[in-house]
Amino acid sequence: MGIFGDDKKKDQPKADFSNVQSGSSSTAPKPAAPAPTGKTYVVQKGDSLSKIAKAEYGDANDWRKIYEANKDIIKNPDLIHPGQSLKIPPA
Amino acid sequence: MFRFAQRVSVLMAGLVLTLVATNCGKKADQTLPPPASTGVVTVTAVEMGRAVGGDKRVTDKTDEFKPNDVIYASVVTSGTSANSTLKARWTFQDGQVVEESEQAIAPTGDAATEFHISKPDGWPAGKYRVEVFLDGSPTQAKDFTVK
Repeated sequence: MGIFGDDKKKDQPKADFSNVQSGSSSTAPKPAAPAPTGKTYVVQKGDSLSKIAKAEYGDANDWRKIYEANKDIIKNPDLIHPGQSLKIPPA
Repeated sequence: MFRFAQRVSVLMAGLVLTLVATNCGKKADQTLPPPASTGVVTVTAVEMGRAVGGDKRVTDKTDEFKPNDVIYASVVTSGTSANSTLKARWTFQDGQVVEESEQAIAPTGDAATEFHISKPDGWPAGKYRVEVFLDGSPTQAKDFTVK
């Protein structure tokens, strides 16, 4: 039985709604974007990912966390440049 | 006589304990901060029509549409909320879900949110329904027809 209690349409082919277009808008403001997590670190001369990881997390082996969070700007994890702003994900 | 005095002292001790406990409770209540208000938003009306104005309210109210119409549902809300989600679920008479769309809102008072659907090759004739959900809970529904 259909949601409107009409059984007459049962044998008819199903209507195709695959190309329906939709949209919405509101006079109400949108919710505030969540605050970004983690922090940023500006690379200094002599820094390496391991060194930053040691300073931020207390464990140089956590360098991969920083690398994963910054893959868009770090092509080679052994090569970071002074002035680069790196996202430091929460420990 | 001794027994009577013993009973009285037990009763007095109980009374004192009750008073202390009650007083502690009051003290705790007084020091608690008032609960943070997260706001409450409610859906007050759903309007159907062929067009909406800048205020997102329907300007051409109807529940009968033509196959090539853009169908609007304007959801009127009152109250405030830091983060709420309105959802419109459009269904055909056979139960098929035609479309679902959501709009996140953070109203600071009365507000209107419009949802619209269109179909380039025209709506099949029949009965339809739009159900409006607020934060996942059903609120109001409107039936309409396409002829």
